[in-house]
Amino acid sequence: MMFIVRQVALKADGSEIVRQTEVAGEELFIGRNASNGVHLPDLAVNPVHARVERRGGELFITSQSQQPFDIDGRSVESTKIDIARGAELRFGGHIIAVGAEGDAVTLTVRRIEAVSDSAEDKDEAAIYSLKGLLPGKRMSAWGFALLVLIACLAWPVYTWSSYKDLAYKEKVSRPAGFHADGLWSSGKMSQAHKTLKDDCQACHVDAFVSVRDNACMTCHEKDAGPHAPMTRQLTARGDPTGFAAFTRFVATSFNKPAGRCVECHTEHEGAGAMQPTQQRFCAECHDGMDTRLTNTKLDNAADFGNAHPQFQPAVLVRPLVGDDSKAPRKRISLDKRPRENNGLKFPHDLHLAKTGGVAQMGRRLSAKYDFGDALECSDCHEADKNNVGFVAVDMEKSCAMCHSLAFDKIGGTYRTLRHGEPEQVKADLRAFYRSTPPARPINLGSLARQRPGVVNSRRTAADYARAVNFRGGRADQAIRQVFSRGGACYDCHVVVPPSSSGALDFRIAPVAQTSRYLQKGWFTHDAHDKEECTSCHLAETSKDATDLLLPGIKNCRTCHVGETGESLIKVKKPVESTCAMCHDYHADKGAPWLLREQDKKKKRPEITAAMAHPGGAGARLRR
Amino acid sequence: MASKAQPAAPPVRRKTTGRQRNSMHDGFLRHKNFRWMKIATVLSITCLVSYFLVDVQPRHNGGSWYGYTLGTIGALLIVWLTCLGMRKRAITPGGWSLKAWTSAHVYLGLSLIVIGTLHTGFQLGWNVHTLAWSLMMIVIISGIVGIYFYATLPDNLSNNRADSDGAVTERMMIEQLRSLDRQLHDAAQPLDPGQAALVQASLEQDPFDGNFFQRIGNSYGGCETRKAMAELRRLRAYQPRMGDDPLDKVDGLLQRKESTLARLRKHLQIKAMLQVWLYVHVPMTFALLAALSAHIFSVFFYW
Repeated sequence: MMFIVRQVALKADGSEIVRQTEVAGEELFIGRNASNGVHLPDLAVNPVHARVERRGGELFITSQSQQPFDIDGRSVESTKIDIARGAELRFGGHIIAVGAEGDAVTLTVRRIEAVSDSAEDKDEAAIYSLKGLLPGKRMSAWGFALLVLIACLAWPVYTWSSYKDLAYKEKVSRPAGFHADGLWSSGKMSQAHKTLKDDCQACHVDAFVSVRDNACMTCHEKDAGPHAPMTRQLTARGDPTGFAAFTRFVATSFNKPAGRCVECHTEHEGAGAMQPTQQRFCAECHDGMDTRLTNTKLDNAADFGNAHPQFQPAVLVRPLVGDDSKAPRKRISLDKRPRENNGLKFPHDLHLAKTGGVAQMGRRLSAKYDFGDALECSDCHEADKNNVGFVAVDMEKSCAMCHSLAFDKIGGTYRTLRHGEPEQVKADLRAFYRSTPPARPINLGSLARQRPGVVNSRRTAADYARAVNFRGGRADQAIRQVFSRGGACYDCHVVVPPSSSGALDFRIAPVAQTSRYLQKGWFTHDAHDKEECTSCHLAETSKDATDLLLPGIKNCRTCHVGETGESLIKVKKPVESTCAMCHDYHADKGAPWLLREQDKKKKRPEITAAMAHPGGAGARLRR
Repeated sequence: MASKAQPAAPPVRRKTTGRQRNSMHDGFLRHKNFRWMKIATVLSITCLVSYFLVDVQPRHNGGSWYGYTLGTIGALLIVWLTCLGMRKRAITPGGWSLKAWTSAHVYLGLSLIVIGTLHTGFQLGWNVHTLAWSLMMIVIISGIVGIYFYATLPDNLSNNRADSDGAVTERMMIEQLRSLDRQLHDAAQPLDPGQAALVQASLEQDPFDGNFFQRIGNSYGGCETRKAMAELRRLRAYQPRMGDDPLDKVDGLLQRKESTLARLRKHLQIKAMLQVWLYVHVPMTFALLAALSAHIFSVFFYW
C-alpha cells in the first residue's frame, strides 16, 4: 500500500513543477510540520492537522485538533472518501486532489492562495490614489450639476408655467407657501409688497419680459396717479448723453424700456419702507426743463435752496358773486404781490395792535374770553384737527365776541340780528318796528310834566299819533342803515347795493376763506409750531383784508437750505430739504411720502388726502 | 487673456559653463516674477475702489449697471478658469505655457473672491444667486487648500521616501512588503497554530486597506501587523529564553514590516491630501457652472 504525494508549484513563467514523494503504509499525516507525509507550508494549517487512514477502498480522514478542513467545499472534522471516486480536500490555502493510480492513492497538492495579500497583483496606479475611497470626480460633477439644474432651473420654470393664467388679476394670487421660483428671489420684498413674497408672478408675468407698468397698475390704479403723460416726461428728461446714453442703449437692447415704474421703485432690496424720491430724479427733468419741454407752464426747479421758483399760491382773481360754485382761482407768483378780495373787510394791524380801542376792548373782555393784553392770532384762528392748516374763522364764535349784532333787549335777553341771512335781518327789523310802538312821550295822556295849555297836549298826542302811524316806515330806514356805511353789516362785509335807488334788496357779497393756497406742494403748521405766527405772516402791519399774508420762498430759506443750497444763504440751523419734503411724484392732496413715513415711525396718524383739509373743497369756501 | 501672457518664455537656465548646468525652477506661483499675481491684484483693487466710488441707489446690488459689469466679468472668468481642465489635457507644442495658464488660473481665481462678492453687493439669502456665490467660494477655498498642499506637501513626500539607499519608489514599497511577507511566512512555519494565526492575519491584511478617513488621518486602528507583534511579544514574555527561538525571527520581521507599512501609510496620506481637494474642486466647479447658468437664466426669465 502506498500514497503518492505530488506537490505542484508554479514557476515564474506559469509552467508547473511537480515534485513527487511516495509514502508507504496505511496511514499518513497532513500538516505544517515537515515531518508530515503531506507537508503544507501554510500558516493556516496546524502542525499536524489531519490523519489519513486507508481501509480497503476507502480513506478515512480525521482532524487531529479541533481544526476543520474542507471536502468538496464543505467544512468537516472527519470524512470518508471512496478512493475510486476521488475527492478534493482543502487545508488553508492548499487543495489536495485525491485520486487513485493503480493500487496507490495519489494526493496532488496545489497552492491556490498567495502567501500574503501583498503578494497578489496590484494595480499600482489605482492603489496609490483615492480611487474607490471617494465618489468619482466625474460622477459627482455630473450629479451635482444635474441636481442644481433640476432644483434651481427646471422646477421654478415648471412652477411659473403652472400659474401663468393668474396674470393681471388683482384679487387672485398663488396659494401661500413655498414656490420653487422663490429660489430666484434676489432679496426680501419691501414693506409694502411683503404680502407678494410668495407670488412672484404678480409682477413677473411674462417670461423674458421685464416687469411692466400694467402689472403694477393691477393693484395701484387708484393710488399711483400719473405724474404727467409719459411722452411729456420722456421729453422733459431729454435724451441721455455720455455714459447714461450707453446704459440706456444696453437696457433697451436687453428689452428694458425707459420710464417704467420699477426704474424708481426697485424691489428685492431688503425689507423696509420704500425710500422717498431722490432729488436728482426730480432734477433730471425739472432742472432746465423749459429748454426741452418748451410748452411747459412750470418753472424750472433743481434745488430748494438755490433753484426753486417763487411760490405761486392759488389766489382768487375776483370776489365771488352770487352762487359761484367754484372759486375763480389762478396761481400767481408772490413776487407779483397778488391781492385777494375775499369779500371781507378786516384790518389785521388794528386787531393785533397792542394799544387802541381793540386792545382796550379785549382787555375789558379778557375776564370772559381770556384775551390778555392784546388780541393774538389764536384768539380768532383755530388750527384744524391735525394742526396742518386752520379752520375757517367763524363769525358767531370769533368776531361776535366783540362785534355784537344785538338790537333789542327784552328783560335780560338781547335779541340779535341773524348772521349770514340778510333777508332774515330785514324781516326781523320790520317785525321790530311793526310790533313795538315808538317811545311813548312821558307827557302823553298824563298830567305829569305837562306844559300848560291844551295846545301842547294836543300837539304831543298828534306827534305821537303821527309817530305811531309812520312807525312801520322807520324799518326801511333801519334796514338801509344796517347795510350802509356805519351799519353792522357794512363794517365787515362787502354789501351789494340795491338794484334801484330806493329799493331795499341789499345783498352781502359771498366770503371766501381759502384754507390752502399752495396746492402743488405740502406745508403743515404742525412742523413749524415752535415759530411765532408773525415771524412768517406779516399780519401786524397789514391794513387791508386783501393783503395776502403768505410768506415768500426767501422766508422759508432762512431755515430750509435745500439739498445743496446752503452755499446760497448761510443760516444758523440749516434744515436740509429735498424736493421730497414738500412734493411727491405721485402727489395727492395729503402729506408727501417722506413725512408720512416719519409719522408712521413716530406712530402718528399719516396725513392722507382726505385728512389734510377736512371737508374738501366745499369747506374752503365759506360764505 | 492668458494667451497674451505666453510670449516665448525667457530662458530660465543660466549660462552653462562646461558640463555643469544651472537650472532655476520657477514654480507656477512665482511664474514670471508673479506677473499674474500683480494683474489679479490690480484687478481686485480696481473693483474695490470703484465699488466705493460708484453710487448705486438704493444700495449696491447685482442688478445695477455696475453689478452687471462685475457679474459679466465674473462669469467669463469662471468659464475661462474651468477651461484649465481641458487645457491641461491638451498637450500643445510651442510657447503655450501650461505654467502661465496655471499661474493665471490661481491668481485670477483668487481675484474672483473680490469680484464675485462685490457683485452680490453683500446681499445674500436662500436663493440660487447666493447658491452660485457659495459654490464659487467653496471652489476657490478648495483651490486655496490645494495650493497650500502643493506648496508644503511634496517636501514631506520626498522626506518620507528618502532612505539611506536613496528614494524608495512606490513599486519598491510593495516589493519590500512582498518580500517581508514571504519571509514572515517562512519564518512562521514552526509556530503553533495560535501564533501562526496571528502572523497569518498580518499576511492576509491588504496594506492598502482602510477607508478614506483612515487614509487621510493615517490612523489604522485595526492593523493586524501591530496586533500580531504585540501579541507575540506578550506571549514570549512568559516563555523561557532558548536560543534559536523562531519567534525572535518573526518578531524582527514583523517589526520591519511595521516600519515599512508606516512609511507606506504616510506616503498614502500625503498623496491623499494632494488629491482630495480636487475631489471637491472639480465637482463643485461643475455644480457652480450649473448654478451660474440657473442664476443668469433666472435673471433674464424674471427680467
